[in-house]
Amino acid sequence: MEILLNSLAATATVTTPILLAAMGGLINRQGGIVNIGLEAKMLAGAFVAVLVAWQTGNLWLGVIAAVAAGALVGLAFSLVVTRLGANEIIAGLGLNVLMIGLIGYLLPVVFDVRGTLRPPGLPRLPKLELPLIHDIPVLGPIVSGKDPLTYLSWLSVPLVAWFLYRTVWGLRLRASGTDLEAARAAGLNALGWRDASTVIAGAFAGLAGAQLSIGIVALFAVGMTAGRGFIALAAFYFGSARPWPTAGAALLFGFFTAAQARVQGLGVPVQLVQVIPYLAVVVVLTLIAVRRSRRRGQEAWAAT
Amino acid sequence: MSVHAGRAGAGTMLDARGAAASIGWALAPFLVALLAGALVLVVTGRDAVATYQLLAEQAFGGGTAIANTLAQATPVLFTGLATAFAFRAGVFNVGVEGALYLGAFGAAWVGFSFIGLPSPLLIGSALLLAALVGAAWSFIPGFLRARWQVDEVVTTLMLNFVAIGFTSYLVNGPFLAVGTANSMSPLVAPAARLASLAPPSQFSIGFLLALAVAAAFWFVFSRTTLGYELNLVGSSPRFAATAGISLLRVVVLAMIVSGLIAGLAGAVQVLGVNGRFIDHFSPGFGFTGIAVALLGRNTAVGCVLAALFFGALSNGSAMMQLFSDIPLDLVNVLSGLVMILAVVNFAGLRPRRFAPLPAVAEADEALRDRGGPA
Repeated sequence: MEILLNSLAATATVTTPILLAAMGGLINRQGGIVNIGLEAKMLAGAFVAVLVAWQTGNLWLGVIAAVAAGALVGLAFSLVVTRLGANEIIAGLGLNVLMIGLIGYLLPVVFDVRGTLRPPGLPRLPKLELPLIHDIPVLGPIVSGKDPLTYLSWLSVPLVAWFLYRTVWGLRLRASGTDLEAARAAGLNALGWRDASTVIAGAFAGLAGAQLSIGIVALFAVGMTAGRGFIALAAFYFGSARPWPTAGAALLFGFFTAAQARVQGLGVPVQLVQVIPYLAVVVVLTLIAVRRSRRRGQEAWAAT
Repeated sequence: MSVHAGRAGAGTMLDARGAAASIGWALAPFLVALLAGALVLVVTGRDAVATYQLLAEQAFGGGTAIANTLAQATPVLFTGLATAFAFRAGVFNVGVEGALYLGAFGAAWVGFSFIGLPSPLLIGSALLLAALVGAAWSFIPGFLRARWQVDEVVTTLMLNFVAIGFTSYLVNGPFLAVGTANSMSPLVAPAARLASLAPPSQFSIGFLLALAVAAAFWFVFSRTTLGYELNLVGSSPRFAATAGISLLRVVVLAMIVSGLIAGLAGAVQVLGVNGRFIDHFSPGFGFTGIAVALLGRNTAVGCVLAALFFGALSNGSAMMQLFSDIPLDLVNVLSGLVMILAVVNFAGLRPRRFAPLPAVAEADEALRDRGGPA
C-alpha cells in the first residue's frame, strides 16, 4: 500500500516529459508526420535549458530557450522531410544519433566535462503547492507540490484537444495531415501546415527536456532522456493520436516508470517492468489491426 | 520509386557516364556528412584537416590498424545486410538491434552452458541458436505486418526495447555471472571463441562469415527466383500479388532472414569480441546498420563498402580519442548525418532512391485485397 502511494505520488513528475512529448508527437502525427526524433528534440531542450539558465541566471529564460531549441530542431527536421523528400523514419532515427553525438561532442570540447554538465549553484524550478488540496491526505501528495511544467503539461491536454478539434487552424492541420493533395486543392499550404505541426512537436519535446533538466534535477546528462521520446511515441500510438487517450497512456506509462524503482525491493525485476510500455503498444496496435481486419471481412461478407 | 534503384535502373546505367553519376550520388551523403563534420570541428576551434588525417591514419595506417578497422566493420556489415534484406522486400525493419541482442544472448548461453563440446560443434551450435532466435523474434513483427498490416516500423522499433530489456533482465537475474559486479553473463568456453586472425586485434573469422553472408545476399538477389520475388514485392507489391506471388510468405520470409542475419551479428560480437553477453553491449550496431544499408543502396557490395567506411570511422575515432582531445562522439555526428543525407533528395536533382513507405501502403492494400472474410 505504501509502495502504491509512493508510486502514485511520484507519478505526476515522471509523467510530465512523456505527456508533453506525446502531445507534440500526436499533433505531428495528425499533421501527417511520424516523429521518431522526439528523443533528439527532448535532449536538445534539456541541454539548452541548463545552458541558458546557467548563463543568464534565469530559469524561465532556460525554459523558453528549450522550447525555441526544440522548435528549431523540429523545423530543420521538417524541412528535410517535406522539402527534401527524406523518409521521416530514417531522418528521425538519424537525428537521434546526430543529436547524441553533437551534444556528446560539445560537452568535453566546449565545456570541458564528460557526460554531465552540472553548473554550480543552478537552482531547480520551484515546486507549487496547490492551496487546500495540498493538505488533503493521499490526494495532496499525488497532485500538489509539483513543478510548474507538470501543471502546464496537464493544461496542455485540453488545449491540444481544443486546438485540433475546435479551431480552424486545427482543422487545417489535420486536413493537411490526412490528405496532402486534397488539402492543397482546397487552397491550403499543406506542406507549411506539416512543418507547423513538426515545429509544435519540437517545442513540446523541448519543453519536456527542460522539465527533465531544470524541473526535476539541476543538471544535464547525455543519457537523461533515457528513451522517454520513444515511450512518448508508444503513448500516442497507444492513444491513436487522440489527446485524451494519449494522455491516459502517458499517465499509465508514467506510473510504471514511477513504480519500477519502488517494486525493486519486492524482487520484481525492474528491467521487465521497463519493457511494459513498449510491449503494450505492440499488443494494442495488433488488437486494433485485428479488429479492423475483422470488420472489413464482415463488411465484405455482407456485401456479397 | 525503388528501394533498390541500382538494379531497377540498370538498363539506363550501362553507359559509363551513368555509372559515374550513380557512384557520385552514392558518395554524396558521405561527402556532405564529412563536410558538415568538418564545420562542427572548425566552429569549435579544432583543425578539421588534421583531425580527418589523424582519423584516416589510425584507421588504415598499418596492418594492425586495418585489422581493427575490419573488426569494427564486422557487426555493422551483418546489421547492414540484415536491414537491406528486409528493405529490398519493402519491409521497413528497424528492429535489427533487438534481434542482435537476443541472438547474442543465445550464442553466449550455448557458449557458457555446453563447455564440454568440441570447438567446431560448440561454435556451430552457438551460431545456429543465435540465428534461430533472431529469426523467431523477427518473425513476430513480420507476421503481424503480413497478416493484419500492423505497422512494422512501430512494432520493430518498440520490440527493440523489449529485447534489450529482456536480455538485461537475464544477465541481472538468472544468468548473472558469479563474482562480477557488472551485469554480464559468465564467459563462454575458450573453445567457443572465434580465433583472432591478426592478434592482438579482434579481427576474427567473424568478418569472413559476414563476407559469406554478403556473398549469399548477392546470390539470392541476382540468381534466384526468391530474390526476384523479394525485389518484385519491394518495388511493386500489387503487381507481385497479381503475378501470383504470396505477399504474406515473402514479407514473413524477408523478416525471418533479416532476423537470422541480425542474430549472427550478435553471436559474432559475443564469440569474437566480448567473450560473454554484456548488458547493453551494443552502441547501436542495429541503427548503424540502417545507415550501412542506405549508404550501400541495399546491395551486397554497397553494404560491404559502407560497413568498411563505418568500421574505419569507428576504429579511427576510438584511437583518435586516445591521441587527441577529439571525443569519440564525432562518429555519431557523422553517422547521424549520413543517415539523414542518405534519404535526402537533393533539390530534386536525382530521382528518389529510397522511399519504401508508398510501397508499404501499396503492399498493405494488396495484402488486404487478398483477404476477404476470414
